Amino acid sequence: MGQSWKENHALYLIVVGAVAWLVPGGGHYLLKENRRAAVILVAVTLTFLVGLYVGSIGVIDAVNAKPWYAAQVMNSPVVFLLGSHVADAYHRARDAVQGEATAAREEAGGTTQAYLVFGRAGEIGQIYTSVAGLLNLLCIVNAIYVAHLRVVGGGHA
Amino acid sequence: MTVFAIALLASFTTPMRIGTTPASVLWLLPLVATISIVYKATKVSSIRLRPFAKETAGLFGSILVFILVAAVVLYGVAWIVTGQLPGLLDHSAF
Repeated sequence: MGQSWKENHALYLIVVGAVAWLVPGGGHYLLKENRRAAVILVAVTLTFLVGLYVGSIGVIDAVNAKPWYAAQVMNSPVVFLLGSHVADAYHRARDAVQGEATAAREEAGGTTQAYLVFGRAGEIGQIYTSVAGLLNLLCIVNAIYVAHLRVVGGGHA
Repeated sequence: MTVFAIALLASFTTPMRIGTTPASVLWLLPLVATISIVYKATKVSSIRLRPFAKETAGLFGSILVFILVAAVVLYGVAWIVTGQLPGLLDHSAF
């Protein structure tokens, strides 16, 4: 029981990874890499927000764009909240249409979501938010690797 | 302040109007810059302004050059397939 949490190798790596996912750059901040953490935080957050602004929160589409959503979720668990909000709005709109629908309107169910987004703005928003998530995944892996190297006695990779 | 905050949040619920124009390709520049910055932030041993900016600019430039080369090659392939090949075969390919 005399071991500190840092000496518990697996738990330490999990905590670093979780913090890095919770806040972009958080893992590096935990490793006292403050400048690196600040650069990652600003770059990833700004890219994600620009993507959201360009394409609207409709680009966080957990129903019709699952692969993109998987990448977007890598930004932060907060994206789950946005995703469930957008999915709820989509399901509400679809149910409302189906309640009064003719066959033709039912076929157009995919376009009745509350947050409409399509065209070039949708593409750019989806690409920006997903790339931001994948970049954060790179940072999460890097933070875990650096933490591992420090525990086993290496330097920065 | 509240009105400003609500207006700010509301601006995230409607997409921007971006046409499918050649200029819309310029949206790749901020993305390439971000990729360069974050990738180099994970790679350099220590972050100091000048060396970091130099490393990032190098990666930014090489990604852009590669994209331009890929664009020229694809344009060339499209030009040959749609413009030259039908003439060589003496009938339309499409």
